[in-house]
Amino acid sequence: MIELTNIVKRYQQHEVLRGVSLKVADGEVCVLLGPSGGGKSTLLRTINGLESFDSGSIRVSDIVLHAAAGPERDAALLQIRKRVGMVFQQFNLFPHRSVLENVTEAPIHVLKQSREAAVQNARRILARVGLADKENARPGSLSGGQQQRVAIARTLAMNPEAILFDEPTSALDPRTTAEVISVMTDLAASGQRMIVVTHAMSFARTVAHQVHILHAGRIAESGPPEQIFEAPQEAITQEFLSEAARA
Amino acid sequence: MAVQCDLHRVPGFVPLALVCIAAWLTQPLTSPADDGLDRIRQRGTLVWGADQEGGGPFIYPDPDNPSLLTGFEVELAQLIAEHLDVKPQFSQGQWDKLPDLLDRGDIDLVLNGYEWTTNRAERYGLSIPYYIYELQLLGRVADDSLTSWDDLLKPADGRKRKVSLLGGSAAQDYVERFGGDNVDVALFEGATDAMDATELGLSGIDANVQDLPIWLFYAKGFPQLRPIGEPVGRGYYVAMARKSDQDLLRAVNEILLQALQDGRLHRIFAKYGIWNDTQMMRGLETDKSGGFVGSPDPAADGETKDAATASYQPSGGWTVIQKRGGLLVRSAGMTILLSITAMPIAVFIGLLIALARLYGPWYLGKPAAVYVEIVRGTPLVLQLYLIYFLVPKLLDIIFPGMELTINAFAAAVMGLAINYSAYEAEIYRGGIQSIPRGQMEAAISLGMSRSLALRRIIIPQATRLVLPPMTNDFIALFKDTAVCSVITVVELSKQYYIQARSAGAIVELGLLTALLYLAMSYPLSVMTNRLEKNLNQERRG
Ligand SMILES: Nc1ncnc2c1ncn2[C@@H]1O[C@H](COP(=O)(O)OP(=O)(O)O)[C@@H](O)[C@H]1O
Ligand SMILES: [Mg+2]
Repeated sequence: MIELTNIVKRYQQHEVLRGVSLKVADGEVCVLLGPSGGGKSTLLRTINGLESFDSGSIRVSDIVLHAAAGPERDAALLQIRKRVGMVFQQFNLFPHRSVLENVTEAPIHVLKQSREAAVQNARRILARVGLADKENARPGSLSGGQQQRVAIARTLAMNPEAILFDEPTSALDPRTTAEVISVMTDLAASGQRMIVVTHAMSFARTVAHQVHILHAGRIAESGPPEQIFEAPQEAITQEFLSEAARA
Repeated sequence: MAVQCDLHRVPGFVPLALVCIAAWLTQPLTSPADDGLDRIRQRGTLVWGADQEGGGPFIYPDPDNPSLLTGFEVELAQLIAEHLDVKPQFSQGQWDKLPDLLDRGDIDLVLNGYEWTTNRAERYGLSIPYYIYELQLLGRVADDSLTSWDDLLKPADGRKRKVSLLGGSAAQDYVERFGGDNVDVALFEGATDAMDATELGLSGIDANVQDLPIWLFYAKGFPQLRPIGEPVGRGYYVAMARKSDQDLLRAVNEILLQALQDGRLHRIFAKYGIWNDTQMMRGLETDKSGGFVGSPDPAADGETKDAATASYQPSGGWTVIQKRGGLLVRSAGMTILLSITAMPIAVFIGLLIALARLYGPWYLGKPAAVYVEIVRGTPLVLQLYLIYFLVPKLLDIIFPGMELTINAFAAAVMGLAINYSAYEAEIYRGGIQSIPRGQMEAAISLGMSRSLALRRIIIPQATRLVLPPMTNDFIALFKDTAVCSVITVVELSKQYYIQARSAGAIVELGLLTALLYLAMSYPLSVMTNRLEKNLNQERRG
């Protein structure tokens, strides 16, 4: 269970998140939609502590993260980061390491797994994302879609309770986008919990359990995809969807 | 650079050609025209050269008015200029470069404790001596294990005695011939530095051998030093002019003789406390050109007498390279040792400083920034000087009586490492900052702590980026090791100056020295290029 309660985040005077609350149950896929600048990235980044927040709380299973800085918060953050993975728009693979090393780095040095166990697990995961033959390649020699799949494998190696995706396909061309979407769809089918910010509407429509429309730092509308896409209640949702359809 | 690229297949005749060019270049450039005196009279000034750094009693800033110069050589210059009916004009030059200034025509006369040697007499016009100097052995008052010259030859505490000397001086010649392999020497660029180091016992220095007039003049300032035995190794201070300026030389001799006879010289020397009976034993014979021909009575002072008449054989071409090249190559080893010891330390300190500035709390970051500014804003030579002379004094204040000290090599490595650490810190800072933010975020979101992320992800990437500029700095450091000679470390450049000065083979040995530096830095610059190429290829993917 991931639960956000009344999250408020400011940059100086500018309130970017204005009291966001949402829940993601086990095995659920949650998709965040909304216009650019609405606070989607900021929300994801507060969950694993890449950004601090000003009030509210975040619960991941038994760990609770409060706004106040201090050693308690630091300890909670370290725990959350081990359990919640993040996939970035720009992949952020480690260019000085091979594909395999990218995947084994954190299990070996954070989870203290043995090298053999980590390598074995990494090979299994790389096969799952369709990159079994690339383990010795450098990230720089891979296509964007392959790189993003390595990034997904890298978070999967931590056996995360949830994975946060921040526009994972926005830097990709349509063909490689399809590779990545298909991997994410498989993951969802296997019961992986995830929170996904995306413009891939078909993914939201077919894979999401819950869809939230985030606008100007507030959740404007929430519901299962059938409801959001077929019968949107809010003007903002309607406007966003028609804009997205035109694009 | 074409020269660099082809270095590894230089054909055998190239060194020969270089030596031929060298031999040609070392021919005297000045014409034998005898017009020096006319030129000086027309100009109305006698331009004379000396090094103020050498200090008293020769020439030094007047303590009462430091913008004026005083010293017995200043008064001598005055005396000579008056005789020529012109004004004296002082020209500052580094002591060992004064003959070069003469050759270049920048000055007319050198008056700076240059002793008469056969070598110099061959190359330059030397006047009759204006002063007869002797060498004085000095030890520490507190050290009663050293009571005679012979004690110098006996090891103390299981190691050879070490004597501080002014590099390139007659004292160096004398001690090297007296002690041979039984005595270690530490070379200094200033007489008072050598005495300072002896008084402090830096680098295990036991004794100092000093020109007697310098000791007489400075004795009060060094209460912890005492003279040991009688003065030895008599030699002659002479004025030095271009070989072609014979009329100038004759005029200088004239006035020196006059002043000798009417007591003016006596008065000048007495004023600086350096008159002694030895002065009366002056030989006054002159040769055809008016130059002094040497000792009047070679047997008078026994074996030790001819410190100045070094057993020098003028040499050039292959002979000098064969005879002295080995020394240069060995000193290149010191250059390499200094560089490869100092650079890793500099890089390591640099990394710590960069991390403190980028990620440290303010109480680490601010001092780190100040450190970089101070180190970059002050010259290396000053830093070396401070470390070598100040650190032992500080250690003595902090841990009195423990006799902690720092030897010249350690001080040199420290100075170089500190100096370069500031530059490496900035390179590292730039390197780390150019790693995309996403790298740190990815590492952190995988559960890494900041320090683990730095160690495993950021620093390795930054290091690859900074390797080419740091290799460049390494090449610069190789060349900067030359500065360490100010604290008596004899590396390639210093050895070159010493050898070139005593052999008169500036060009031959200079070319060899340049080749040695090139041989050391060329592989590094090849490496820089490789690294850069690899990095670019990697970036392109
Ligand atoms: N580091 C920052 N400093 C100041 N303002 C920021 C920063 N990051 C994001 N913002 C602002 O926060 C708002 C939400 O941004 P973001 O979360 O990136 O939106 P989204 O991902 O929905 O496009 C925007 O107005 C953006 O300008
Ligand atoms: Mg965004």
